[in-house]
Amino acid sequence: METAALKEQLKKQIVEFLNLLSVKPEDIKDDEPLFGEGLGLDSIDSLELIVLLGREYGIDIKDPKEGRKILVDVNTMVAYIEKHRTK
Amino acid sequence: MLYIHQSTCISAQQTFLDVDINTLHEAVDNKLKVIEPTYESIPPGILRRMGKVVRIGIGAALPLIRQATSLDGFIIGTANGGMEDCIKFLNQIIQYEEGVLTPGSFVQSTPNAIAGQLGLFTKNKGYNITHVHRGLAFENAIIDAIMLLTDHPGNNYLLGAVDEISAYNYNIEMLSGWYKKEPATCKELYQTNSIGSIAGESAVAFLINGDQANAVAQIVAVDHIHTSDISIIENQLKYLLQHYLLAGEKIDILLSGENGDNRLLKYYAAIENITADTTVARFKHMTGEYATASAFAVWLACELFQTQHIPAHIVKNQTSEKSIKNILIYNNYKGAQHSFILLKKEN
Repeated sequence: METAALKEQLKKQIVEFLNLLSVKPEDIKDDEPLFGEGLGLDSIDSLELIVLLGREYGIDIKDPKEGRKILVDVNTMVAYIEKHRTK
Repeated sequence: MLYIHQSTCISAQQTFLDVDINTLHEAVDNKLKVIEPTYESIPPGILRRMGKVVRIGIGAALPLIRQATSLDGFIIGTANGGMEDCIKFLNQIIQYEEGVLTPGSFVQSTPNAIAGQLGLFTKNKGYNITHVHRGLAFENAIIDAIMLLTDHPGNNYLLGAVDEISAYNYNIEMLSGWYKKEPATCKELYQTNSIGSIAGESAVAFLINGDQANAVAQIVAVDHIHTSDISIIENQLKYLLQHYLLAGEKIDILLSGENGDNRLLKYYAAIENITADTTVARFKHMTGEYATASAFAVWLACELFQTQHIPAHIVKNQTSEKSIKNILIYNNYKGAQHSFILLKKEN
């Protein structure tokens, strides 16, 4: 899958998994911070995103420090998925 | 003494904000689902995580919390809590072979999620409890509130009840024969002459304390019993009326929980015999059958006290038009859990 298509798919999955009622996938910018400013996600959302990566891409994140580097924005997530996905 | 000062109700009828109980909203597919408001006062970030039962519970409670000068706790009755989220969570366990699960559904699925979220949302560290006694969950919440107010008459509490129609629960109750298999309408619910009822749900909240001044109503007595023996239920009611009605006082309205299930008619007929010469009104065609439907009846009683008007569609038989001062609610859940709630008009 091309990077652009993967980004589009990931944005749809983020909206669906996190039940972001007032956000459309196309509203999420590639470099928009997921936590704090930007989408304003919180710690429970980070767990949901880790589960998303496991279920949809076969990625198992065990080290919380590693998670902080991956769950920055859509760009960082997609870069990690492309490198480590097992499905 | 338990006095109700304010009440809100999210139900299948127009009971929230612009109240209109004269117009009857019909059931769809034998279900009376609530009319949900827009929840403008709940931040979207919090709202998106709430399951329906938590959403309507908090939605009903928030207007009262905002008006309360102080609040000493939350007392909620719910039979099933967030059943929809509970099943979602259990299905995930199977689907993902007991692997990593998302926390959202689990957080929402416990029955005490409603009272818990209310406490968190309002940063209230006071009394916080959820009663889950199936068809008597709300009645037990009232008893708890009465005991608390006996000890602390100056305290204010939010008393409420919430239950939702979940797909899982609906299917189980349908298979057990508690919901009608044939299409039924609210208008003709009591003429169906078949087993089962229509499904319902609601969220009801009351601001209560021990202060009579400016109260809408007083809950004079609440009583409940597990039995299928009509004579025991009759004796229970006779005892209640003898002890809690003053000499010369009468019940003005019997609010009956009759639900269109022909197996349960004998109980309601027995109660109507004891309260003969009393106007009988029914409410299950407005709200459907569910474990905490009696909370809707208490809300309706407060509405009748305030408006002194009985909508035509709730009247089963009317004896005479006089002021509404005393209302008795009789409800039974599946013919096994019976309750009486006696209310008196204030101010």
